[in-house]
Amino acid sequence: MSDKQADAKEGTSAEKVPLVQVPLVQVPLVRMVDIDKWFGKVNALQGINFTVNHGEIVGLVGDNGAGKSTLIKILSGFYPADRGEIYFEGKKVNISNPKLAKKLGIETVYQEQALAPHISIARNVFMGREPTRFMGFMDRGMMDRESMGAITKLGLRIKDPEAMVEALSGGQRQGVAIARVLYFKAKLVVLDEPTIALSVKESQQVLDFMQQLKAEGISVIFITHNIFHAFQVAERFFILARGEMLTDVRKEDTTIDHLIDLIVSGRREIKS
Amino acid sequence: MNATSNQSDKKRRKVSSYFIRMRSLNVFFIFVLLFAVFAIFSPGHRFTSGENMRIFLSTGAEFTIVAIVVGMLMISGEFDLSVGSILVFTSYIFITLFHAGVHILLSLIITLIAGGFVGYINGIITVKARIPSFITTLGAMLLWRGVTMLLSGGLQQGLVLTENPVMYKAITGVVGKIMPAQFLWFIGITVIITLIMHFHKFGNWIFTTGDNKMAARAMGINTDRIKVVCFTVVGIAVAFAGVMQMFRSETFSARAGDGWELKAIAAAVVGGTALTGGMGTMMGVFWGALVIAIIENGLIFMRIQYWWTFTIFGVIIVSTAIISRYFDQRRTMLGAEKNV
Repeated sequence: MSDKQADAKEGTSAEKVPLVQVPLVQVPLVRMVDIDKWFGKVNALQGINFTVNHGEIVGLVGDNGAGKSTLIKILSGFYPADRGEIYFEGKKVNISNPKLAKKLGIETVYQEQALAPHISIARNVFMGREPTRFMGFMDRGMMDRESMGAITKLGLRIKDPEAMVEALSGGQRQGVAIARVLYFKAKLVVLDEPTIALSVKESQQVLDFMQQLKAEGISVIFITHNIFHAFQVAERFFILARGEMLTDVRKEDTTIDHLIDLIVSGRREIKS
Repeated sequence: MNATSNQSDKKRRKVSSYFIRMRSLNVFFIFVLLFAVFAIFSPGHRFTSGENMRIFLSTGAEFTIVAIVVGMLMISGEFDLSVGSILVFTSYIFITLFHAGVHILLSLIITLIAGGFVGYINGIITVKARIPSFITTLGAMLLWRGVTMLLSGGLQQGLVLTENPVMYKAITGVVGKIMPAQFLWFIGITVIITLIMHFHKFGNWIFTTGDNKMAARAMGINTDRIKVVCFTVVGIAVAFAGVMQMFRSETFSARAGDGWELKAIAAAVVGGTALTGGMGTMMGVFWGALVIAIIENGLIFMRIQYWWTFTIFGVIIVSTAIISRYFDQRRTMLGAEKNV
């Protein structure tokens, strides 16, 4: 039954959609082809085809339980997919653990899991990748300078690299986490619900960070269930519901009302 | 004129903020205060006599070494309730080897390895079986104490070191007629652990592991390995403290280290270490450990019944926890704490 569904979808999306979406001259940064994932008897992802182009902000939108996080966890090496292939810069890759994803340049920023609150900003930025001088002793001067540099580059104003993360606002914390991926030259940044617990002003700040990442040539996957936030920055929308893709549409080809209608009704977009 | 007053104001604020940010200074003042109280109020000021200072620094050091490593382990987010039992178990290993005719240095090395191994088992069980270390080490506390009681029959054994003056002097000798070697070992171990905790990348991994394990993992830090290493270091240091204690007392006692586990945690907490992990400084634990040690020693000279020690421990632990909570809030506003 589900195989049939997946096959049917393969016929529609795997062959047609990527051809329409991606100009043949440009190899997309990431191409996930026909991804299936089961958790016991639950089909969390059903034949998903998902691409991200270079320097593009993609809004990955859907209600809770739609499969957004599952898709991203497959991409960042936390889960293996039960079926399907991943291509990174045109090459087939097997992302079996988070370290490999990082090596490729895929960085995921989770809101709760990004930073250690009682440790200084500089130490957070370099967490796990500390620059050392000799015998593993940290170059603290460099950590302070470089972390401040990355944060300033992002347009965030923080004075003291020794300040504890706990003293920062939610938006600033996102900024520190994003400055880190900027500093370590990620190619693709996944932001998992970065605006969920933020005030309007702070959310705006985070949306600005995304534009900054784009300006640096970094692709962004913006996971959210707030279509209004996604609509402000994303150039393309990939909407999931119950593990199925509802639509994959460019901003200029759609309207916010149409997207809301899709999410609410949960019906699949029939591609013309 | 306005500018200068502004500047001095800024300076004053900087000094006060430095005081708050440097958690270990708070604990240092508690230590100084206790020292002064004992010095002034002990009958005949016997507390400050040269002899007692030597006793305080030598017997104190046995415990404070344990407290330092327990503080490190707590920053990584774990507890060790079995330190007292590891101490007595490894002491038994040492005395058995020594009496069996094994060279004293080899006995010491084997004992340290055994201590490390027992700590390693605590760590492996905690991270692999995903049992809270509170439970793992509670079990280990009963287990190793029990094993030692069974093997030793609960009896005391004498330790004669007259044929090994070099080792004796290296571990429990007196340097320059004043400073007991134990205290120098304590200082040395503190310096090494402080360097690692606050200046080495491994220390940063310990802090992040205790503060936000998920974040540390996401950044590729092997949090399980970090914790196992911390448990192992605790085991080694505790074994060393146990040998040190036997050298001083020249006796093996099956009750050695009894109650040290909670005292060590208390020292770390008084020193500003968070029970939840990720927060604390080694200088804080250093002074915290000395605070606990000085209370034990000082109260004897105050001619107060020994049982008062517990009462006073209780008061001091709770009140320092309240004070440090207040300072924590201030510290958050002022920025990260100054470590050293």
